[in-house]
Amino acid sequence: MRHINQLSLLLPLGFFLVACLQFVGLFAFEVYSAGSLYTRDGIILLGLILSLPLIYKQKWASDRNVLRGLRHLFFLILMTSGILFLSNNRLDLLQQRFADSGMFDGTFADSIFIISWAFFAIIFMLIALGTLRNLIYVKRKRTTARNFNLLMIFLLLFSLSSVPLYYAEEGLSSTIFSWLNNVSLFIFLNLAIINSFRVGWINYLNKKQKLGCFWGGLILTPVQIAFLIHFRNISPIISFSPLLERFLELGIVFLTIYLVFSFLALLSHLPTARIYDRKMQQIQSLQDLSRALNSEFDWAKLVRTIIKLASEVAESDFAWLELYDQKAGKLSLISSKNLSDHERQTWSSTLHSGLTDWLQRSKEGMLCNQASKSERVASIRKWKNETGSLIAVPLMASDRILGFLYAGKKEEFGFEQDDAEMLRAFSDQAAVAVENARLVQESIVKERLEQELRIAHEAQMKLLPKEMPQLDSFAIDAVCITANEVGGDYYDFFELGDHKLGVVIGDVSGKGPSAAFYMAEVKGIMEALAKEVRSPKAMLVAANETLYQNFDRKTFISLIYGIIDTRDRRFTFCRAGHCPLFIMNGKTEPRMLEPRGLGVGLDAGAIFEKTLEQMTIKLHENDALLLYTDGVTEARNPDGEEFGEKRLATALMQAREESPAEIKKTIIHHIYTFFDGQNAYDDLTFIVIKAQSDEAERHFAKERRKNGHIQHKAG
Amino acid sequence: MDTFSIKRVDNDDLSTLYLNGFLDAHTAPELENEFEKLCGEGRYNIIVNFKELNYISSAGLGVFMGCIEDIRGNKGDIKMCCMTPKIFRVFDLLGFPALYDIVDSDEKAAELFHKQEA
Repeated sequence: MRHINQLSLLLPLGFFLVACLQFVGLFAFEVYSAGSLYTRDGIILLGLILSLPLIYKQKWASDRNVLRGLRHLFFLILMTSGILFLSNNRLDLLQQRFADSGMFDGTFADSIFIISWAFFAIIFMLIALGTLRNLIYVKRKRTTARNFNLLMIFLLLFSLSSVPLYYAEEGLSSTIFSWLNNVSLFIFLNLAIINSFRVGWINYLNKKQKLGCFWGGLILTPVQIAFLIHFRNISPIISFSPLLERFLELGIVFLTIYLVFSFLALLSHLPTARIYDRKMQQIQSLQDLSRALNSEFDWAKLVRTIIKLASEVAESDFAWLELYDQKAGKLSLISSKNLSDHERQTWSSTLHSGLTDWLQRSKEGMLCNQASKSERVASIRKWKNETGSLIAVPLMASDRILGFLYAGKKEEFGFEQDDAEMLRAFSDQAAVAVENARLVQESIVKERLEQELRIAHEAQMKLLPKEMPQLDSFAIDAVCITANEVGGDYYDFFELGDHKLGVVIGDVSGKGPSAAFYMAEVKGIMEALAKEVRSPKAMLVAANETLYQNFDRKTFISLIYGIIDTRDRRFTFCRAGHCPLFIMNGKTEPRMLEPRGLGVGLDAGAIFEKTLEQMTIKLHENDALLLYTDGVTEARNPDGEEFGEKRLATALMQAREESPAEIKKTIIHHIYTFFDGQNAYDDLTFIVIKAQSDEAERHFAKERRKNGHIQHKAG
Repeated sequence: MDTFSIKRVDNDDLSTLYLNGFLDAHTAPELENEFEKLCGEGRYNIIVNFKELNYISSAGLGVFMGCIEDIRGNKGDIKMCCMTPKIFRVFDLLGFPALYDIVDSDEKAAELFHKQEA
């Protein structure tokens, strides 16, 4: 395609060549008929009509690089003018002779000279028009193309109508042509001015380029005007083709008008060039920030970008960013540019509390151009004494101040009001970016924590018994439901041999991971002690001794430890600060047993041992024990009411005939009904132990075999 | 969310903390700070009034255990008073009466301090 485009130019060139040959031919044979003159002009007109659209299709004519176009034009005009002035004498001579005789009567060499000059002038004009069109199209609007095409049409119309006038035909047709000629000239000049207003490309130049164009224009514009005047005076092309001469002449007029307009526009742009450049740069920085905002969630990189761009926006010597800590609400220095190590170290959140307070209240930016004379900035000058002028703006995200951005210059009066405004706009964007990055960070941290807690939950559940102990004359069931992923509730069973089973239930104070760690510690100690120590009291005293040393003072655990003797159905136990246990004989209301005892970890040993009471109870057939943590009785419904011991006793009573598994289900059912959709607030654990008749024992044993091991998972 | 607040009244060398609302794992640090402040000021004779307290969790109880060593080490004490039966039940189950003086009025608590001094 490109080659076809390039080759297509050969067609109009061919026309011109034919016209040239005809001229030379006619000259050689000395034939000057009116028909042959008109034919030549016709051929040239066709060539022009063809070449105009073709030339715009060329690659160089649609180059959007304004500077390159201008440079081409500059050298083209200088070169052509140079050639024009160099060949001045000869052209002048020809023109003189031609004007005298009204006919071309030069030598053969003269005719060759004229057609080469004409040929060169055509090419010059076409390239110049192509370049101008390109400049005009830089800021293209709906009417741009129409105006330019009309300009070209009237240019051709004017040139065409000049031909018969030139050959000086008298009569009616001459008047019509004259009229047409004047009208088209008038319209052309108007269109030329309209088109010359399209100098929007100046906006795309930076200050340096504008200055370059100014100097270029300073040389070019007088040259171009001289060129125009001179060309009018000496052009002998008219003897070759009046149409071409008019075309060239008017083309140069347009070129001159456009150049003069451009030069004037450039002049008017020069004083504001610096401000314009800065605005452009500021907009660019804002765009850069928006981009960073959408893509940068790496905290360190983001704050570096903010400082870098803020410094660019305000053209500051140094800048720094202070943000409030989300939790502590304290200001800290996050990022800085051109602060010395010493300044970074001596920075403190109270350094300039007066200024910070003021910014907080006003929520506006502050511009100080004479730091040495401002009281508000005095504290900052004390810290960084080279501060000459300073801008401080708050970072606001939905009415909340996230922190402050400072930009400073060493010189006084270094900033203008719109620097402060620009930085203010910038800080709004930066605040959004900071907020976003924080949210992303938070959600990442949260997700990781959740995953870690899930793992912790699984680990903790492994610390609880996987299956219930199998005894001859007792059935046991238990459950632990944690409110959070991990908690401080604990229960366990120890096979002690000799028909004995150790049972423990406990609740570590506090919540969450710390309680869970202590619970694991308690489990280890209880497991180790249970093998060695035979009485519940001695066991808890020993446990208290160890745990008191290992616990931090705020932490303690309430425990019940008891030993079931399956042979004589006795339960011997101690209550170390734990909830009382329920005993139910299957007929009367459940009873609470509450021997005295201090929580484990509250006292070093003496008081603990003194207060701890050991109790032994005899369990009869169908008697049931319920050991529970306070999560059961303190379970709250949406009204804030607690489940309480009474409701627990009722639930227990309702299921008194059932197996421990059924009792467990009934209690859980009661609690969840009570919750009424509310989530558990505390961990909730209980153990049901039931003494069985031999018959019931056989029955439950069968049930157990059928169901396999019953496992309980919390949650 | 359930709220918790503390009102502090200083009287000579006695400081009384009036607790209000729900004292649990979330609000316990507030009470902890208050005790730290008192200890920082050298005020070790502290009465805690539980009259307006609706709920106390184990974490809340832990606060008292956390600071009592320091307070008693400086010849001071925490006396507790005016517990509702429900709150007292929580303290009682854990055996706190063996560790702390728990009385039913501010005056009695103050009296205990004066007796100690005498």
